[in-house]
Amino acid sequence: MGKTVMDKKTDNSNTAGADRLLQLRNKLNLGAFILIIGALFLLNLLAPKPAVLVSERRPPAELPKPSLSSIWNTDFMTDFEKYAADNFSFREPLRTLRAVTLLDVLRLSDKDGLYRGAAGAGRIQALDADAVLDWARLMEQLQADLAAQTDGLSFYYAIIPDKSIYDNRDLPGYDAAELARLLDDRLPGVTAIDLTNALVATDYYRTDLHWDQAQLGQRSADVLDVLAEALGCQERLSKDYTILEAGSFTGVYPGQLAISMPPDQLRYLTSPALEQITALYLNPQSGQFVSGPIYDLQAASGRDGYDLFLRGAQPVVILENPLSETDRDLYIFRDSYSSSLAPLLAPAYRRVILIDLRYIDYRVLPEYVSFTANADVLFLYGSQILNDPDILLIQAKEPTKAPDILLNSTNALVARKASRRVKQAS
Amino acid sequence: MLFSSITFLYWFLPLVVAVYYLVPRPGGSLLWRNLWLFLASIFFYAWGEPLYVLVMLAQTVVGWLSGLLIEHWRGKPIAKLILLISLIAELSSLLFFKYTDFFISNLNRLFNSELALLALALPLGISFYTFQILSYSIDLYKGKVQVQKNLLVFLTYVTLFAQLVAGPIVRYALVEQQLTSRQHSLQTFADGIRRFSIGLAKKVLIANTLGQLVSLARFNLHEGGEQSLLFALLFLSAYTLQIYYDFSGYSDMAIGLGLLFGFHLPENFDHPLVAKSLTDFWRRWHMTMSYWFRDYVYIPLGGNRVSPARHLLNIFLVWMVTGFWHGAGWNFILWGLFMAAVLILEKYLLAKALERLPVLVSHLYLLVVVMLSWVLFESATLGQAQQLLLTLLGMGSSGLAGSSSIYYLLSYLPLMLLATFGSTTLPVRAVAWLEKRAGLLGQRLRAGLEPAFIALLLVVATAFMVDGSFNPFIYFRF
Repeated sequence: MGKTVMDKKTDNSNTAGADRLLQLRNKLNLGAFILIIGALFLLNLLAPKPAVLVSERRPPAELPKPSLSSIWNTDFMTDFEKYAADNFSFREPLRTLRAVTLLDVLRLSDKDGLYRGAAGAGRIQALDADAVLDWARLMEQLQADLAAQTDGLSFYYAIIPDKSIYDNRDLPGYDAAELARLLDDRLPGVTAIDLTNALVATDYYRTDLHWDQAQLGQRSADVLDVLAEALGCQERLSKDYTILEAGSFTGVYPGQLAISMPPDQLRYLTSPALEQITALYLNPQSGQFVSGPIYDLQAASGRDGYDLFLRGAQPVVILENPLSETDRDLYIFRDSYSSSLAPLLAPAYRRVILIDLRYIDYRVLPEYVSFTANADVLFLYGSQILNDPDILLIQAKEPTKAPDILLNSTNALVARKASRRVKQAS
Repeated sequence: MLFSSITFLYWFLPLVVAVYYLVPRPGGSLLWRNLWLFLASIFFYAWGEPLYVLVMLAQTVVGWLSGLLIEHWRGKPIAKLILLISLIAELSSLLFFKYTDFFISNLNRLFNSELALLALALPLGISFYTFQILSYSIDLYKGKVQVQKNLLVFLTYVTLFAQLVAGPIVRYALVEQQLTSRQHSLQTFADGIRRFSIGLAKKVLIANTLGQLVSLARFNLHEGGEQSLLFALLFLSAYTLQIYYDFSGYSDMAIGLGLLFGFHLPENFDHPLVAKSLTDFWRRWHMTMSYWFRDYVYIPLGGNRVSPARHLLNIFLVWMVTGFWHGAGWNFILWGLFMAAVLILEKYLLAKALERLPVLVSHLYLLVVVMLSWVLFESATLGQAQQLLLTLLGMGSSGLAGSSSIYYLLSYLPLMLLATFGSTTLPVRAVAWLEKRAGLLGQRLRAGLEPAFIALLLVVATAFMVDGSFNPFIYFRF
């Protein structure tokens, strides 16, 4: 049956309505595009750039200066991409939007390996077997070198487990059993100390990778007990601590996750024995040791509150115990975990010498540190260093260039990583 | 420059679009707009590879000049010679940059020699733009297209940044008219915005996120981690979705960008993962490449109008070349031969059986074949492919499953389900059904919701670009 005039009018009216709606939709699409792309283009062009990316604890990439060579080898373009992303308007809310999309909307268990769990935030990082073996070789080299120079040294090593293994989920990544298998018999002259069962989830900050000093000497068979027993200094230690507070502390993970978390409480331990300990810090500029307290309360409110302990990144720190009942020294080759642990061991020794080979080249170490006979030497590292041993400045025995104390080891790291890549490629 | 980068989206694109529409069109001529597009495209290409701009320009000029000469001597034997020289020149460039080291390393292996490898970086998009130039030369010789006497127009065709580095492979015949007389309208521009935004979201939200799972699984399976059946299945499933969203997302962005400048580029994907056979799959996956090989290799070889034996040989030859086009490695050649074998099986043995199968079973068959093909496609060595196959048979060092694979399965399951749903025709059919059923109300809803959806996609994609560092394009290496 043919359409009536009324039907045709209705059809025409519907078609006209649909056309109008299509036009409206097109205009709105265009508007959305201009609003977002155009407005952000102008904002990025005109808005002032941030001086620092607070949550990521770093300055943003700077606008690179173009040169023929940097354009030819595309360094300029690479640097510009970093500049554009780092200085993007609304960077922080956008990072949070990505985190929320991944973790809350798409329900991923982690974002780029960063997770939120019952025990706080952490990072899933699988052990790199090759890197672990490289680390073991470096420690073996250190041990052989030190043993040849100094009599009666006793060597120990302990790995600080990543906090992820104490999360109640079965997270992939750090595997204590696999690590033990890898290191088995790799360090024949060094006594292994297993810390795996000495720690629990609450020993670590919820917002950071580090452990909380106030938790370290609280239980029986905790980290302090296990280490002291292995080192044979248990009798010289007293765990009669007082816990003091130094304010709140937000670790690295909320910034990396781009999701806010309630801050941790920054706490530190003191006791009559600890109050006697003084610290000598090696000044990288002057090459002189400077005396100071073991807790830097000013640093507690700085960018990284964990710097409260032994002033954070330091090439060499010597803890002196004037009330020592022994003339035994302890040398700790260490990373940042030891900053909060070492003061607790200090009352059991005459001196505890902390050496961070990320910031001082092993070849210049004898200029600042002498090893005494019959001392204990402890290699104490977190899993992050085991996965990246190239960061340690232990060079070949015949130096090709003048060694240095480095507080910024970037160049050395780049060089070592390059040589590692060459080695792997070959 | 990557489409899915802050530099492209918030620096390059707004500037290029704004200037393009500000450039005058005296007498309706597109000369100045084409010039601007050409300059922008050169900048786009040089951002990643300044030196290789010269290679691309040289190949383009050779293609253009040979076109002029073919036209000049049309109908004479020398025209054929010019075509031959042009094809040799273009293919030589592709062979030199892409395959020299492959040949040298095989010669070294064969004769125990120690010839040094050239270790040249592959010019971005060389496989794509070479094929575009070839399509022009061949079609011109066959009289299917008119000669292009204007070098700028030809340069605009080859270098157009929208499709320069990863397709779709745009034949000259398709855009011959558009290069000089394309229409610009609000409708086209809005369609371009929608298409680009969807492609961008497919790439950065889904492909890149799944890419992280693929990398983790690959590391475990190939680098001595958990080698379990579950991880292998997870790896192949995630890789199937990743490569689909990565490449189809790129094609969507390319088509969308083309529309912003008035170009209608060809479709490259048509829901390939819902195909019911491998034959069907290749009618839906990277269509511009499939049709290119069909029209410029398979049919000239005689296609199916030859003896059955020759027909089989033709299929094997075409797929061997197709595999080799994807990469200079034996795994790609074997991948192509695997495709040929299954396609022949389907053609001569399985066609009727596949038609009779329930739809779900035929989908499943296709997915198994495609995922198995990735074993060859993505493995760096044949040893890796063999190991992955063994793991798929439950003979990996970690057996059926381990804690890592279970963790990642649970973690990525919602995204993989969402991505699977998105790869079907259901979303498109749902929108069409709603619009039809709801009439004017549906169109009103769409008029309001679509711009909001596009805005949301752009903002979320931007968030992923600002924060994410994992942003590879799988097809860039081809």
